[in-house]
Amino acid sequence: MSRPTLGDVEQILTALAQEGYIADREIATAIYLSIELHKPLLVEGAAGVGKTEIAKVMARALDTDLIRLQCYEGLDVNTALYEWNYQKQMLRIRLEEGSGRTPEEKEQTIFSEPFLLRRPLLQAITHPRAPVLLVDEIDRVDEEFEAFLLELLSDWQITIPEIGTIRAQHVPYVVLTSNRTRELSDALRRRCLYLWIDYPSFEKELAIVLRKVPGISRQLAEQIAAFLHAVRALDLQKVPGVAETLDWSAALLRLHRDHLDREAVERTLGCLFKHHEDQRVARGPWLDRVLAVIADAQRDGQSVQAALDRLERLARG
Amino acid sequence: MRPDFGSLTEHVVEFSRRLRARGVLCGPAETADALRALRAVNVVDREAFRLALRTTLPHRREDLGVFDALFDAYWRTGGAPQSEQREDRAGPQALAEAASLGTPSLRRWAEEAAEGEQELPGYSPVEVLSRKDFSSFREDELDVIARLVVAIARRIATRWSRRRRRARRSHLLDMRRTLRLHLRWGGELPGLAFQRRKVRKHRVVLLCDVSGSMDVYSRFLIQFVYALQETLGRVESFVFSTSLTRVTEELRTRSLRAALDRLSQRVPNWSGGTKIGTSLRQFLDRYGGLLDGRTVVLIVSDGWDTGEVEVLRRAMQEIRSRAARVIWLNPLLGSPGYQPLTRGMQAALPYVHVFASAHNADSLRELERVLSQGRMGRPRR
Repeated sequence: MSRPTLGDVEQILTALAQEGYIADREIATAIYLSIELHKPLLVEGAAGVGKTEIAKVMARALDTDLIRLQCYEGLDVNTALYEWNYQKQMLRIRLEEGSGRTPEEKEQTIFSEPFLLRRPLLQAITHPRAPVLLVDEIDRVDEEFEAFLLELLSDWQITIPEIGTIRAQHVPYVVLTSNRTRELSDALRRRCLYLWIDYPSFEKELAIVLRKVPGISRQLAEQIAAFLHAVRALDLQKVPGVAETLDWSAALLRLHRDHLDREAVERTLGCLFKHHEDQRVARGPWLDRVLAVIADAQRDGQSVQAALDRLERLARG
Repeated sequence: MRPDFGSLTEHVVEFSRRLRARGVLCGPAETADALRALRAVNVVDREAFRLALRTTLPHRREDLGVFDALFDAYWRTGGAPQSEQREDRAGPQALAEAASLGTPSLRRWAEEAAEGEQELPGYSPVEVLSRKDFSSFREDELDVIARLVVAIARRIATRWSRRRRRARRSHLLDMRRTLRLHLRWGGELPGLAFQRRKVRKHRVVLLCDVSGSMDVYSRFLIQFVYALQETLGRVESFVFSTSLTRVTEELRTRSLRAALDRLSQRVPNWSGGTKIGTSLRQFLDRYGGLLDGRTVVLIVSDGWDTGEVEVLRRAMQEIRSRAARVIWLNPLLGSPGYQPLTRGMQAALPYVHVFASAHNADSLRELERVLSQGRMGRPRR
């Protein structure tokens, strides 16, 4: 079965960049091989590093639809696969009262495709062209559902007792994401190619901020990326991801700040730190030291790496 | 220049084998994927080559480090694999390490121990050891007990989930069957068809005392916690002495020894004094969000608190009000003549649903019995 591809690794990097996604070769290689080898891509990493975004830009770059299955605890087959449209079925039963048809005939009518509500997995299978299927936060479902999903990912067919077996016309491009709240089964892992996305490096984060926050100065963007580098070395309840970085950058810009100082950081603390305890840590003397290091580094034109190392040391006391 | 795929294939197979020997989840299917991937990338580009293997061979974050190290050692710059002899000297050692400490061995322990338990006859060393206090063991007896602890942790865990399935009978309409009935009876509703609601799993929060007075038990307890976390999945683990440390991530590593190493680096005041109240307060302040009506809190401590009793009482009160179930395991409960009279224990007891000992294998079995009788799985409305 042939599906459209995105070309080689370099072409994927370009395509992703066009869609506004700053990727590295590791990510591009994973996407490339997932498309070439027809294997689902399992993406793991902390919250906010851009796991979900991969599927979205893939769909845009491939110019196909994105079908998203958001997982949660208690997700069942009814919500993920299909359900019968009971209201419609009941109406039909009422309409056919006195029609003289046998119960068997009636049953056949109301348990047929027009009465089926297609949920994401069935949609993905019956889609007229290969879509990108995003199974988001797969670690939230229970083991039984994971086993069911594994079967689907191998066979690409679904059996509905009343209708029969439905086979996929086009095998979807599949991206699964996990925040590692639960260990996934070995079987599911082995079915997939694996990509771990870490928090971005200073350079990558800088590129993302410059790209995604229009109107930001390079000086402020550098300060923001360096600040985040220092923050992620702290022992926090919730380490801010790229989404938080972008919110924060936008907030600073809105407040007409062109550099970081204590007042600017304190006023916008809520964008980065989502726990009271984390905010308390960030407000402490640590903040002054970080701001001093960043200001020094920028003024003296020190090497970036030396400055980043100093910032990391601050977190350790 | 066309790369020589013949010898490359052999080397990829060998490379996969060595990854496997180091405990990486990677079999022939992965090797085949890697070879397919190599045909799709430009293998002369070393980075492309590396990334192709890295995407196809390992499947978990923990394995990426192993992969990176072995990749550098095996595929020397220029693609010439490292000589066999040097590599093989390291091989058996790594293999032995994986076999003695890695998770696979933990699983095997548990399986063996579980099998052993089916036929627990009088001559079994397991039974002799059953009644002996953990604190009075010789080194060589520890292994037998370790196995048992792991097996019991597993059994407790699986019991919990199975029992819940039976105990909770909340009814849901089975619309499919109801409509069928409806049809059969010509549009009249003869009755409703029900289905049993799928049961949700509990989250377990473990708070384990590793202060000096618990020293003799700590090693087992960590093993217990490790096994429980491995088995249940949804476990958050903390250790405390004078302050609290979250260790869920540390224990998530694939081998117990690595977990212990990381713990010793991370946990301050190991074997120090005890401030139970302060530690529990810290838990509530920082991690209180973990508690809800479906959370079981398991506290393992002897109750020797050197802090303010009132702090402990308040913390226990709050935990009780926010969690579904509070279980306190006290190893001292097994000592002859022990009465839970320490001031800390006295303050905490009113807020505990299940108070049991955890000093030997028998007591853990007893705990399992208590848990299966009580309505462990029933969340409060």
